[in-house]
Amino acid sequence: MRFFSFHLMPYPDLPADYDGPAWVTCPNEFYDPQVGHDVYNRYLDELIYAEEVGFDGVCVNEHHQNAYGNMPSPNLIASILARQTSRVRIAVVGNALPLYDPPTRVAEEFAMIDVISGGRLIAGMVVGGGPEYYSFSINPADARERFQEAHDLILKAWTEPGPFEFIGKHFRIRYVNPWPRPMQQPHPEIWIPGAGSLETVEFVARNHYAYMGIPYFHLSVFERMFRMFREACEAEGYEADPLQQGWLVPIYVAETDEQARREYEDHLWYFVKRLLPGITIQPPGYTSVRSLGNILKSSGSFMLNLETWEQVVDGQYAIVGSPETVTDMLIDNLGRLGTGNLLGLFQLGTLPHDLTKKNLALFAEQVMPKLRAEFPEGQPVIRPSAAGQVA
Amino acid sequence: MPALAEEYVETDVGKVQIFRGGDGPPLVYLHSAAGEAVNPAAETLADSFSVVSPVFPGFGESEGLEQIDDMEDATFHHLDLFDRLGLDAVPIVGLSFGGWMAAELATRYPERVSKLVLVNPVGLYIDGQSVKEIFGRTPAELAEDMFADQSHPMAQMMHMLSEFSGDVGQQIEVPMELVLPIWKSMSATAKLGWDPYLHNPKLRRRLHRVTAPTLVIHGAQDTLAPKVISETYAAEIPEARLVDVDGGAHLVTLEKPDEIAQLVREFVA
Repeated sequence: MRFFSFHLMPYPDLPADYDGPAWVTCPNEFYDPQVGHDVYNRYLDELIYAEEVGFDGVCVNEHHQNAYGNMPSPNLIASILARQTSRVRIAVVGNALPLYDPPTRVAEEFAMIDVISGGRLIAGMVVGGGPEYYSFSINPADARERFQEAHDLILKAWTEPGPFEFIGKHFRIRYVNPWPRPMQQPHPEIWIPGAGSLETVEFVARNHYAYMGIPYFHLSVFERMFRMFREACEAEGYEADPLQQGWLVPIYVAETDEQARREYEDHLWYFVKRLLPGITIQPPGYTSVRSLGNILKSSGSFMLNLETWEQVVDGQYAIVGSPETVTDMLIDNLGRLGTGNLLGLFQLGTLPHDLTKKNLALFAEQVMPKLRAEFPEGQPVIRPSAAGQVA
Repeated sequence: MPALAEEYVETDVGKVQIFRGGDGPPLVYLHSAAGEAVNPAAETLADSFSVVSPVFPGFGESEGLEQIDDMEDATFHHLDLFDRLGLDAVPIVGLSFGGWMAAELATRYPERVSKLVLVNPVGLYIDGQSVKEIFGRTPAELAEDMFADQSHPMAQMMHMLSEFSGDVGQQIEVPMELVLPIWKSMSATAKLGWDPYLHNPKLRRRLHRVTAPTLVIHGAQDTLAPKVISETYAAEIPEARLVDVDGGAHLVTLEKPDEIAQLVREFVA
């Protein structure tokens, strides 16, 4: 099992009387640069701290024009981490390829991070969330095509000698010849986040990449998602490696179950009720007919619809409790999902710095070793007995 | 009311669904982003015309959207379809998105359009006034802009669709037969109208090339397409005329079919 600390870099200070969406149209007059200065630096400290306490990697990601996650350029944050950490993998999960024109920009910046960090980059590539298509006015009906073409171009730029000419439908570059080239050869490990769209699952399986389940769903949705992924790998003629699968989930560890809920609950609700609204906006033409049914099926169990703490616990939307409780829940859930990468959100919503650090330290000291022992690398994570096979 | 019958036509982009019926000279109806190829105005007009109402690729059962990227492709598709249907110079009635497509055809191939009726057309961006957002809003919100009278059956259906939300942790049963046509229509509209948003920046300066006598109809209660768009079409197309229809919002051919049909009959006759 590999352990990653994922940070969204949320804006913690939306006005109390604002109840609109946190995405696309959330007025940017609410953004106070002084608050931004404080939290950027604080959040970077939290990512660096994850290395100190023993995590295997850190994760950052890309979102635009929103209060949920203030990393319009995750590559900027990753490049700081490349210098300020020395051991952890740096997973950028990911760059929204259709938004980069030309996409060789991604090949260049990822290679820079990989070279500066000494080969520690994990290159995430993503179609991009619905809100980004409203924020960029990139045609969502072209999203999949642009993603595919950009991906092909980036991989070719990394693996074939330049200069060469690339003539696609959406991108045309006469001279592809990026400097620098990535340090990891033939190219950095590639992660693709997905929310259960069949096209994405099949694409990841076909290319032997790793599939990262987009979070905030009921555990049953992830069970279905990763089962689908393993089946797609089987259809490609191989057995999925646990390291090809990653589950992202909010985690909070405190001394006791009661203390954990007491310290955490308000911050979780800020996240659910203030930062999630607007994230589900669906741009037209972005989803295939094949995937529409799956996505509609999952939408009812999205975290945004939660009202009570009992629902959070029932659906395992966040793993909260004492070290023992969190360990037990994670052993059970990871056994159901079969994922060899655990991506924890250890800071969520308004969770303050001291509690975030305590959370990271307790998890690293008291949970991580037990999970490493339970799920040794190179061995299957899936536990057929746990994985609701009956249903 | 004579019914329009469903047919399929092979075109360069694939098999296309059309609705056809009635007696008299030919008349083409081009539907809006709502995909209303069959609608009471087109059906009523079948008492005076041989109405052809094609379903644009990506809408309904029509194939070929993957081969259409922009208005130029859309125009060539219409040329191809008209050739296959033996339509030479034909009167065209287009609602909203369909009005835009009719205007694109009439500027590029004016000889193929004998009369042009633009009903709440989009396609222009005038004085900083965009068409109100149609993407990413709930069906109920859209219904408010599309209908003057919220008791219209289609408005009622759109309000009903907005009621669906699942219980947490449950796999909800979504009425796919209701969602899918809307989802397909919006996807196809986005292909041509996402960016630039429901307009072609070059269209305005080409409007002087339209040779067909032109009638622009504006639903007086339309809150979706700014009236300045209709006014600009009427001002820039030689000798075009603008009329208001009271009691109709954006989908005025659904709300005021008899009034629209009468205006078209008088104008095209």
